[in-house]
Amino acid sequence: MRPIDLWRYEVRRAGWAALLTPPVATAALVLISLFDSSPTADRNLVAALEMALPLATGIGAASLVGRDPAAELQLTMPTAYRSTLLRRLVVTLGWAALLAVLVVGILVATDSWPQSRGIASGQLVWLAPTLCLGGLGFLAGAAFRSPAAAGGLISTVWIVQQVFSGLVQDNYWTRLLYLFATTRGAVPDDWTANRLTLMATALAFGAVGWLVLGRAERLLRGEAE
Amino acid sequence: MRIEISGLTKSFKGKGLALDGLDLLVPTGMFGLLGANGAGKTTLMRILAGLLRQTAGEVRIGGHDVTTRAGRLAVQRVLGYLPQDLGVYPDLSAREFLDYIGLLKGIDDRATRRRRVGELLEVVALTADADRRLRGYSGGMRRRVGIAQALLADPRLLIVDEPTAGLDPEERIRFRTLLSQLAGERTVLLSTHIVDDIAQTCRELAVLAKGRLVFRGTVDDLTRRADRRVWSVVTAGPAPTAGTVVSALPADGGLRYRVVAPGPPAPDAEPLPPTLEDGYLALAQAG
Amino acid sequence: MTAAFRYEFLMQVRKRSMWIANGVVVLLLGLLSARGREVGDLLHDPDAKATVTSVAVAINLILPVVYGCFLADRLVRDDKLGVAAILDVTPSSGAGRLAGKYLGACAAAAVPLAIVYFGFVALYAATSGRPVAFAWAAAVFAVVIAPAVLFVGAFALVVPLLIPAPLFRVLFVGYWFWGNAITPDAMPTLASSLVTPVGSYPLQELFGYRGPAGDTELAGPAPGAVFNFLRPEATPATAWLSVGVLLALAILVLSAAPALRARTTR
Repeated sequence: MRPIDLWRYEVRRAGWAALLTPPVATAALVLISLFDSSPTADRNLVAALEMALPLATGIGAASLVGRDPAAELQLTMPTAYRSTLLRRLVVTLGWAALLAVLVVGILVATDSWPQSRGIASGQLVWLAPTLCLGGLGFLAGAAFRSPAAAGGLISTVWIVQQVFSGLVQDNYWTRLLYLFATTRGAVPDDWTANRLTLMATALAFGAVGWLVLGRAERLLRGEAE
Repeated sequence: MRIEISGLTKSFKGKGLALDGLDLLVPTGMFGLLGANGAGKTTLMRILAGLLRQTAGEVRIGGHDVTTRAGRLAVQRVLGYLPQDLGVYPDLSAREFLDYIGLLKGIDDRATRRRRVGELLEVVALTADADRRLRGYSGGMRRRVGIAQALLADPRLLIVDEPTAGLDPEERIRFRTLLSQLAGERTVLLSTHIVDDIAQTCRELAVLAKGRLVFRGTVDDLTRRADRRVWSVVTAGPAPTAGTVVSALPADGGLRYRVVAPGPPAPDAEPLPPTLEDGYLALAQAG
Repeated sequence: MTAAFRYEFLMQVRKRSMWIANGVVVLLLGLLSARGREVGDLLHDPDAKATVTSVAVAINLILPVVYGCFLADRLVRDDKLGVAAILDVTPSSGAGRLAGKYLGACAAAAVPLAIVYFGFVALYAATSGRPVAFAWAAAVFAVVIAPAVLFVGAFALVVPLLIPAPLFRVLFVGYWFWGNAITPDAMPTLASSLVTPVGSYPLQELFGYRGPAGDTELAGPAPGAVFNFLRPEATPATAWLSVGVLLALAILVLSAAPALRARTTR
């Protein structure tokens, strides 16, 4: 286990972008709900957990590769650079998790937590899509070495699933990969399978990303121009 | 820590051969690597530092085969690397940056690491500015931070790529002196296109051109390549065309040209004792 | 200005990562639409105007997200690389260079979009025997897609001078969905208004588009909705007004760029 000092530096490497983005994204959705007088307004915090936080985490993860000014130096260290990048991913995910727990706490305290979800298993509301987009962001970052391209991919997956929600869900297999099954799910019975599939996919993305990051020469080359 | 290179070849997709069948033995001590831009020096440095994999050939550093992951890791544990383009984290102070690099080099004990950082800041004369952010550092100061980070884990192999590029004369001299002092029991591989840096610090060197080794020997050997080939010509007319003009200084009667050529470039040319730079140019002329 | 345009355009258009990202997106969309509706039906639909318009809507809803992300750090990177300092001492005017850069970046972003769109239109024209589709497609591209590209381009270039690019990307994507695809009766939104970048007003009033089922009011006031002051009655006149508003907003945002850059490079 590496010292806490190293983790502190990796938090700084993740930077303002990683620190600001999840709370601002969540707050934006909450702000809109403040203007909303419709009866479904309290769904917006749950939506923030399931939609805003995963998007912010995915784009944060996508921004980890390709903007490190000391990458060449890092690649010559005994500490493998991909371990360093993984550490930064954990920081990104950890920060999102902290925020999520805070929001869940608020929802539970104000009696707004959806009745159908237990508090423990209900954490999958945010955990599954956050891990999935985080893992995909990590893989896309490793593949493209460009925060712009990787971020574009994450954004596209997110918006395609939003805009074509019906289409994505009309087939069982694609329904298992639907990110917003809690707030916009068409088949509630598939929720658990959906959440578990998303988490398994996250692991797969992470593993492939780890493998792709193994070649120093690719990382040295920079953006996939 | 010896470096043994045999048949080293590196090709890049679409860019041809950067290194072409290089055979080289680098002993312990200060060793210079000279060559024009694009000669393959940086590619060689990066292969030695474990950043690039060779296309063909063998590289052994201190007995470790750098083709294998275990070999590369073993080398990186005792390596200090100063790249040509040293990127730093502008939001960190020099002290923080070195502390972070120390952690990445495996110096986990905080007290040991901080003591080492303090010592090295003294060595590179940056103690007074240690807590200023790197964003505000000049090029020379960044280079000094660079050499400090390279020395953090007391490396047995130092690879220094174009360390004095962009430094002012005083800083360049300070840097060279520092490097010479470090050589001792270490292997210091100094790669540069500035001939004077090698002349002032190294006894032995190699010269690369277009990915190939064109010279391996002592500084004196390379200098002697220009014996009886260095001339001084004073003329108000056009520069001599035979040979390579090294310098042109104002003099009575026009400009005094220093020329490297096989024979006198002008009837009134005076022979001069050669320098390393002359030797390098003579080598280039022959090749 | 033309030099800046040409340089920026060529640089962006050469980025392999942009083409790969667009390619992946088109693949995703293609897979979805192949399952959603028989592509054969679409390709033989006799109504050329409706067909090219509905495809434009799908493209305009998704692809801007890609180039919005790509353009997000253009100006910031130039300043970080110190290029701006070199260019600033050249005789060309700062405003001209910025305009050239902006238009070049937008043009490059529009290229994959245009290829996908007109590629489909060509296929449709060939299979349905309706070459008039090209004329309609050109009109839709000029009036609906191009203003969206310019609108997104302006924000994507300028806003990251104020906030980190990753934060911009998240807010932009969220905004793009919220401001284009959410109906005003579901929650407060800027969709179906004059400032809807996907072009609700011109789509409905100039091209007769009324949603996938053909029976939705895309533009105009929604009963009881917030921001109805941005939703005048939908007419051809307000449709043109909407196009003008989007372009005016783009210019307004761009005009803030020099001041913001001076701030960040200090």
